[in-house]
Amino acid sequence: MINIKKLALLIVFIWPSVLLAETMEVTLLYVGPTDSQAWAGSQQGLDEANLQGQFLGQNYQIKSVTMKELQDLPASNMTAILVDASKKNVLSLAQDAKYSQVPIFNLTSTDDALRSACVPNLFNILPSDQMDKDAIAQWQAKNPDIAVKAQAWHEDFVKFAASQLNKRFKRNHNVNMTDDAWAGWASVKMISDTVARTESIKSTSLLEHLKNDLSFDGQKGDTATFRETGQLRQIVLLVNDKNEIVAEAPLRGVKNGLDSLGKTTCQ
Amino acid sequence: MKFKSLLLSTLIMASTAAMAEPSHRVFISNEKSDSVSVIDMKTNAVIKTINVGERPRGIGLSPDGDKLYIAVSEENAIAVVDLKTLQLEKKLDAGDDPETFDVAPNGYIYLSNEDDAQASVIDPKSGKVIETIPVGIEPEGVAVSPDGSLVLVTSESTNMVHVIDTAKHKVVKNILVAARPRGLAFNSDGSLAYSTSEVGNEVTVIDTKSLSIIKKASIDLKNSKPMDIKVSPDGKTLYVTTGRGNSVAVLDADTLEMKANVPVGKRVWGLGMSKDGSTLYTADGVSSTVSVVDTKTNKAIKTIEVGQFPWGVAVDD
Repeated sequence: MINIKKLALLIVFIWPSVLLAETMEVTLLYVGPTDSQAWAGSQQGLDEANLQGQFLGQNYQIKSVTMKELQDLPASNMTAILVDASKKNVLSLAQDAKYSQVPIFNLTSTDDALRSACVPNLFNILPSDQMDKDAIAQWQAKNPDIAVKAQAWHEDFVKFAASQLNKRFKRNHNVNMTDDAWAGWASVKMISDTVARTESIKSTSLLEHLKNDLSFDGQKGDTATFRETGQLRQIVLLVNDKNEIVAEAPLRGVKNGLDSLGKTTCQ
Repeated sequence: MKFKSLLLSTLIMASTAAMAEPSHRVFISNEKSDSVSVIDMKTNAVIKTINVGERPRGIGLSPDGDKLYIAVSEENAIAVVDLKTLQLEKKLDAGDDPETFDVAPNGYIYLSNEDDAQASVIDPKSGKVIETIPVGIEPEGVAVSPDGSLVLVTSESTNMVHVIDTAKHKVVKNILVAARPRGLAFNSDGSLAYSTSEVGNEVTVIDTKSLSIIKKASIDLKNSKPMDIKVSPDGKTLYVTTGRGNSVAVLDADTLEMKANVPVGKRVWGLGMSKDGSTLYTADGVSSTVSVVDTKTNKAIKTIEVGQFPWGVAVDD
């Protein structure tokens, strides 16, 4: 009798706390090699997502899957897919009706075709080839003789707390952070920031937030948002042949700020 | 009768002895010059520059007004300056990369360790770190409530205000705010706290009883990157430095509407306020100046050259 009472009491008191303490499990799918910078970057993002998650009761994991394994999984259980693949493979995945309600993050391809395709669930993290060209043209208009290349990220980038991100990536991975690594990190960070704010792991609410409410700190300046082309708005770094950062595009005085770089609309 | 007055005067003397006379000086940490500039509040002139160590950032006073503390980030230490002699006295171990701090009424220093995702508590008496508390990534602003019961810490890359209960030295609440939270301030009775978000360009009002957000608003200014924040003594007005906005935004504390915008130097970070709320001092990072702002007219009335990259401000008045 007493034991039953005790048990009942236990259930009454413990059950709600179990419910409250329930952790939200968030699984992100990853298609691509796992010995790459993009993967290392996503792992850095994962560490940081879980550091935040421990305060909010959210636990993140990244599951590496082959294209074949992905096809066998039901899309209804997916939150997001991170992809490090060729333009062709990214496009065929994004245009597959099965994943139309799942955000797909293109981590590594800078091909303009992935932007001009305007696929509603495709998010292109790195600056497009056209953005890079426009950035270089802005530089050349002012500095005719100095050759530069365009990059999304650089290991010596310091401003906007970039140095802190460079420092912690290098500490954890023993290599400098590259463009691909930054893209991997940024993708996971913007997913975890969205899950934290929406308290949902549904792919549709993630899609909604990424398109309409994102205010992401990519540790490279102004708050980052997506264009309707699925391209992440951001500055482009210009680097000389001694591997020194010489400028950030948009260059000072250029009209339209961040939208002076690349195609901005689907028209 | 005589005995009573003697007792009274002894008591008064004892209390003034415990609380040092304010020096009427403003202290500025110069991040790139490794120094502190000492400004006389009457003349608005720099009267001394003290070398304090590598990369000084956070700066503040001990509750008794005897000491000035400066976080020297590259040396993983808090430099202690004697306010009577203006001499560097010693350095306290502060853990990895101390950025900024606030001092509690009991004298404890609560500081953010930027690279370690933690807050540390230092007892200046023993000179020891007595506690470390895990918080989010890139912890930045720290503010102790007026009664010393709560400490708030912002984490820039986790987008949170962490609330620490000082009785337990434990995080009791984590509040999500807009991207890259920086500065924190309590109103004078401690009922409300305010945080700024640099990248999200937002000011957030937190009720300190429910520990929840009761209002938030963006600052309607071009290039506004909210950094440091102060509350007027009557609690009616907020002053926010806007970083690349090169100004101090003056906001109504209730509505968060902008009442005035005061242009100061370039890339303004730290902000100090006189006790009566009449005067503000801004650390204009890129200009290497301090602007003195009169809050009656909301105008900068003086620009003072200091060291390179002035970062933080402490006012002893």
